[in-house]
Amino acid sequence: MTQVLDREQIAEWSGQQPQRPWTKKPARLQAWIAVAALLPSALVALIFTYTEIPGPILLVAVFFPLQLLAAGIAAIATKGRQGAADSVIIVLSVGATLFSFIILTSVLGSLIVRGIGALWGEDGFRSSFLFQNNVYINPSTPLEYGGLGHAVIGTVLIVLIASLIAVPIGIATAIYITEVRGRAVPYVRFFVQAMSGIPSIVAGLFILTVLIVSGAMNQSAFAGGLAYAILMLPTVARTAEEVLRLIPEELRTGALALGSTRARVVLRVVIPAAKTGVITAIILGVARVIGETAPLLLTSLKSDQTILNPLGNPIAALPTYIFDNVALPYPGAVTRAWGAALVLMILVLILFTLARILGRDRLNRFR
Amino acid sequence: MAAPPTETRRDLDSAATSHRGDRIFNRGITAAAFTALLVLAGIAIFLGIAAVEAITTQGWSFLFTTEWKVDQGDEPVAGIWGMLYGSVLLAVIGLVIAVPVSLLLSIFIVFLAPRRLARMMTNVIDLMAAIPSIILGLWAFYLLTPPAEQWQFLLNKYLGWIPIFQNESGNFNGTPFIAGFVLGFMMIPIITSVSREVLGRTPPELINAAEALGCSLWTMLRHVALPYGRGGIVGGIMLGLGRALGETIAIFFVLKLVYDINWYKIIESEGGSVATLIVATFGEVSGPYELNLLLAAGFFLFVGTLAVNVIANLIVQKTGRSER
Amino acid sequence: MSTAEYESTAEYEGDVTVLEEQFTEQKSVGPIELESQDVSVWFGKRKVLEGVNIACPKNTVTALIGPSGCGKSTYIRTLNRLHELIPGAALAGSVLYEGKDIYDTDIDPVHIRLQIGMVFQKPNPFPSMTIRGNVLSGLKLSGLKRDQHDDIVEETLTSAGLWNEVKDRLDSAAGELSGGQQQRLVIARALAVQPHVLLMDEPCSALDPTSTLKIEETIRELSKDITIVIVTHNMQQAVRVSDYTAFFLAAENEPGYVIEQGPTTDIFGSPRDQRTLDYVNGRFG
Repeated sequence: MTQVLDREQIAEWSGQQPQRPWTKKPARLQAWIAVAALLPSALVALIFTYTEIPGPILLVAVFFPLQLLAAGIAAIATKGRQGAADSVIIVLSVGATLFSFIILTSVLGSLIVRGIGALWGEDGFRSSFLFQNNVYINPSTPLEYGGLGHAVIGTVLIVLIASLIAVPIGIATAIYITEVRGRAVPYVRFFVQAMSGIPSIVAGLFILTVLIVSGAMNQSAFAGGLAYAILMLPTVARTAEEVLRLIPEELRTGALALGSTRARVVLRVVIPAAKTGVITAIILGVARVIGETAPLLLTSLKSDQTILNPLGNPIAALPTYIFDNVALPYPGAVTRAWGAALVLMILVLILFTLARILGRDRLNRFR
Repeated sequence: MAAPPTETRRDLDSAATSHRGDRIFNRGITAAAFTALLVLAGIAIFLGIAAVEAITTQGWSFLFTTEWKVDQGDEPVAGIWGMLYGSVLLAVIGLVIAVPVSLLLSIFIVFLAPRRLARMMTNVIDLMAAIPSIILGLWAFYLLTPPAEQWQFLLNKYLGWIPIFQNESGNFNGTPFIAGFVLGFMMIPIITSVSREVLGRTPPELINAAEALGCSLWTMLRHVALPYGRGGIVGGIMLGLGRALGETIAIFFVLKLVYDINWYKIIESEGGSVATLIVATFGEVSGPYELNLLLAAGFFLFVGTLAVNVIANLIVQKTGRSER
Repeated sequence: MSTAEYESTAEYEGDVTVLEEQFTEQKSVGPIELESQDVSVWFGKRKVLEGVNIACPKNTVTALIGPSGCGKSTYIRTLNRLHELIPGAALAGSVLYEGKDIYDTDIDPVHIRLQIGMVFQKPNPFPSMTIRGNVLSGLKLSGLKRDQHDDIVEETLTSAGLWNEVKDRLDSAAGELSGGQQQRLVIARALAVQPHVLLMDEPCSALDPTSTLKIEETIRELSKDITIVIVTHNMQQAVRVSDYTAFFLAAENEPGYVIEQGPTTDIFGSPRDQRTLDYVNGRFG
């Protein structure tokens, strides 16, 4: 005979509350965890207060091994040898995370702390820093005068030129891979990947050799833009390819079935459908190149003036502006460098966030 | 009985089309797609020509000499041996820092962190990758060097009997240690994202099997996740390596360029890097001959980073496919 | 009629006696190795299982049947504490193994998983290990120490019915085996840590009929020394292989629960609930 469930019993069981018995730790384990977590910190705090050993060294050479040891002992005492390896990994990986976080904070923090002096003076926000150029400035000029306006314009010009070249070609490459699907697709992908590994200085050298040394052109924004385009192309192509792949095949076959030509399918159906993705590809490409210094050092050099002509003259740009001011022994110049770096990082952050936001929308569209 | 009709097979080529507009479209797109190849070939050719000239005038010792006397007029002698070795040394120092940190970070993100923290960390790491190298160079010069000088001083004081921690000049700036440290920080986001992706793709059924057999985090990593992700992780490390070999500006201000080889004294104030040599010398080039030498150096840099990159991508792709 | 009315009939008395007898009979088969008491399961706020009470006597095979999605797989994962590894998991009630609640705070889940093993639906041998390596992998993963590795490999592969087919190629890759062979390898792997209970989540549903029969043979053999709980969609399999059966059902958006359970012959031959009757006759599921 079988047991049949009495439905009325369910009412009893509905009174049960969900629990997580596995999260309760026995008192002994809790005690060990407390000791393992607090003892090393307490010891280190003591050492720090009473000796001269500098902080970072204390952290790495004393605290970290102590914490590892404590975690290991606690684990062995409670879980046996298996647990020790686990706690070591946990401590090490938390340590690695803190390490990276500390350095990152130092980098970003220094930008703000040291760069704000250029953007913010006694009278508040110093827009002159953003708009003026360097024409009458020498390294010891006080910060109220002069700025990086010319560098901003230079960067914009160079990036624009680079985009005008790299974006159409990059998207065309992506179209070849996902739409035309010719026989050379694996080769094209290989070349694009290889191209993404070109060091930025080699890109600069290439443009230098081909265009400048041969005399075809002077150092100028255009040359810089070409060098940037080499660096931008693989990023645009790769991202655009990913994005075009996401477009469902039905869109293409539907348009073809309506009698559209291949070209129209791509230009009028697929690309518009991938609009946000394509914009993301462009933004990521720009973010990739906007801080590159080495190629500009060879191709567009530097200048103090505000130049709008992309050909014929060397021109300033944000990265080279920073480069010039970095190692000068004048605190004013150094602050300018930090200020420019801050501006550059803010630009990169804006681009980065834009790409993220657009990227999220793109994914949500097809869910 | 009649003979059966013969079949002629017609291959339907999806790229072939009889519509004129489409043919033009296809040709144009295909041409554009080969730009990458064009650029790569162009670089190889133009820089290669310079390299050939350098080798013919300097002989192969161009790669093995550590002198750079180009403004003598008659007998220029130049070689990038010190720079080649230096680039590798710096990259190795960077890897020593970056590989453990990146692996631990990716283990943390994939297996230990709660979901929201993991997502946040992934975004932060992507942000790390986007930091322009000039900013890192600026930071390294002003913020990393002072404490690093202190650490190196102590290293030399207490551990100076170990050869790599020897220092004769008493200067602790511009050392391979500092430059390597910066390169390491640059490599961390690259290696971490690849490793994170690969480890995240460990088949859940394998992890379930390990869990059902009573695994701990460490044994699961050692016997399941890391063996599975080995290829991808190695590929990621090589991608990071490729980046480090070609990096110029991040280490420009924190490396004291010296033509002689510094074999192992990583806290001594002398080092080399091909990329940095090119930028440093470019501004004061004495003439077309010296410029040509720099182009030749650029050629070898190009070839080296290209090789590392291609191998890295092959490894990553191959392991991706073999797990199907 | 309502519960109160039912309880006042003579039929009720009779039913209770039968139930008590049958329960005693079930328990007299031998000690209960594994038993769940009022187990309810949640994922986050969603309740997926309600009050499951199943007792598995030692060295028997218990089959869990029911349409897909009613929580059988979730249920067996509470028996070896795999359930808690899923984010958001929670439960109520207790699971007694050899009389002790496996969720007590001083019990090590690793110890439980060594005693209560599991075989999954899709064969999952470790592709980076050899056949030999796979069999012994449980020892490496859990830290359990056992001697005579060669003997272990031979014993477990023999019990799993795979020894003759692979004895000459123990060092070849596990990925080269067929699906049925891989599943038997997985069984050997589970046996190598000497469990007292083996949980099987639809072990044959990804396999061809021949492999399925071989594995069913293995299950019957293994049940002489090990208690087995098997989730299956195949009702003929349940009949062939199990001593006891529990029938799970879940209405849409409601937690699953056990409608009827008992000796297999009774569940399939004379089920007392209409839904059980319909299910075992293939009218739904």
